Amino acid sequence: MVDLQELHEAILNGDAKAAAAVTRAALAQNVPALDLIQQAMVPAMDEVGRRFECQDYFVPELLLSARAMKAALEPLRPLLAASGAQPAGTVVIGTVKGDLHDIGKNLVAALLEGGGFEVIDLGVDVAPEKFVETVQQTNANIVCLSALLTVTMLSMKAVIEGLRAAGLREYVTVLVGGAPVTRQFAEEIGADGYGENASAAVALARSCAKSAAVG
Amino acid sequence: MRCLLVGCEVLLRELADAIARSPHTIDVEFLPKGLHDLGGARMRPALQAAVDHADPACHEAVLMGYALCGNGLHGLEARRVTLVAPRAHDCIALLMGSRQRYDAYFHSHEGVYFRSTGWLERGRDIEQLARDAGTDFTLADLIAKYGEDNGRYLYDELRRYERSYRQLTFIETGLESDNRFEQQARAEAAEKNWHFEKIRGDLSLFRKLVGGEWDPADFLVVEPGGRIVASYDEGIIKAERIGCEEETHVRRD
Repeated sequence: MVDLQELHEAILNGDAKAAAAVTRAALAQNVPALDLIQQAMVPAMDEVGRRFECQDYFVPELLLSARAMKAALEPLRPLLAASGAQPAGTVVIGTVKGDLHDIGKNLVAALLEGGGFEVIDLGVDVAPEKFVETVQQTNANIVCLSALLTVTMLSMKAVIEGLRAAGLREYVTVLVGGAPVTRQFAEEIGADGYGENASAAVALARSCAKSAAVG
Repeated sequence: MRCLLVGCEVLLRELADAIARSPHTIDVEFLPKGLHDLGGARMRPALQAAVDHADPACHEAVLMGYALCGNGLHGLEARRVTLVAPRAHDCIALLMGSRQRYDAYFHSHEGVYFRSTGWLERGRDIEQLARDAGTDFTLADLIAKYGEDNGRYLYDELRRYERSYRQLTFIETGLESDNRFEQQARAEAAEKNWHFEKIRGDLSLFRKLVGGEWDPADFLVVEPGGRIVASYDEGIIKAERIGCEEETHVRRD
C-alpha cells in the first residue's frame, strides 16, 4: 500500500521525481485522485505555506515544493477531467502592463493550481484589455494582479476599470499583490482583496471561492 | 542652514556633487544599496533609524536621497525634524531629473533595465529575491544547495524575468571619471543580447534637494509629527499625521 505520507514529504522536500512516482504508484493501486489531493497535496502545500510564513522556507523552497506538487498533479489531470470534478474556481492571473517581474506571480499561480483552482496564466506585461478579454472568454471568477514596481501598480486600477466598463466587475473577485502593494492601495483602487505573500493569496482565493459558493 | 542627508549609496556620486555645490552645511549618512533588495517593509526601519539620528538642536531638515523605492519610504516618520523627500518612484527618475521624463521613457520603452555609475560600482545588480537564495545566486551556488536538478530549475525560474528585458539604458550624468562605466554597460547589454542606449542624466533634483530649493511640485516637506505615505497619484507621496491611521501596518486576515 502506498503511504500518502511519502507524497506529503516529497512535496515538502521539493522532490518532483518522488512526488510523481508516489502518485503513479498510488493510482496503480486505485487510490482515488481526490484522496491524493485532499489528504496529501493540499495539507503539504498548507505546511509549505506555514513554513514560509515563519521563515523556515524561502522563495526557492516554495518554488521547489510547487514544482513537486505540479509533478504529482500531472498524472491526476486526465482522471479529474474524466470524473467531472469541478475546480475550486477559475483564476486569470498576470503581471500588469509595463511590469516584467514574474517570480511572485508564478508562485501564486502554482500554489493556486495546487489548491485546486484552474489557473489561466497570462504572463507578464499584460494589458488591461487582455485581462478583460480573457475573463469574457472563460468562466473565470477570480482575477489576480501582480506588480513589483510602484510605477506599474496603477495599471491594476486600469484593469478594474476595464472590468467595470465591460460589465464584468460584479462577476469576478479581483485580488492584488506584489511587494509594493498594500491593503490601503487595494482598497483605494477597489480591489476585493490583497495578499501579502503567495500563501496568503491562496487562502484569500479559497475564502473568496467559498463565499461565492455560499452567496 | 544645517541638514542631515540620508542617502542611498547608489547615488553617492550625484549626492556628493550636490553637497559640494550646496550653500548649506550637510551632514551625511549613506546607507547600503542592499536595503533596496530587502523590500519596502524591511527597508523602512533602517531608513527610520538613520533619520532619527538627526538632532533638532542643529538640523533644520533631514533630506532623503531616496525615491519612494518600492514603498521603502512609505510610513517613514518625521519624528523630531522636518523630512524632505523628492517626489519620484525610484532613483531612475532622480537620475533623469524628473518623474515626468522617467514616466514617458518607461512607458515608451518596453523592458528596459537601467544603469548608472552607482548601479555599476556599488555591488551587484538587483536580482529578484536573490537574498532568499541565501547566496549570491550563481548556478553553482544553487546546485550546491539544492542539487543538480532543482538547482538548475531554480536558476531558470529566478532568472526567467531577464529574458523579458530588451534594452539596457545607461544614464550618463557627467560625473563619470572616464568611460569605463559606459563600456561596462555596453558589455552587459551585448552579453544579454539587449539593445543599448545612452541617455543624458540630469542632476537638478539632487542639487535642489541639497540646495534647499524644495518646490512642492517636486518635493514633499513633512513637518515633525507627520510621515510620508504613498499617494498613488501624480504626486507619488504625501504627508499624513502620525497616529491618524495605522495604515502602514500590514494586517492579515
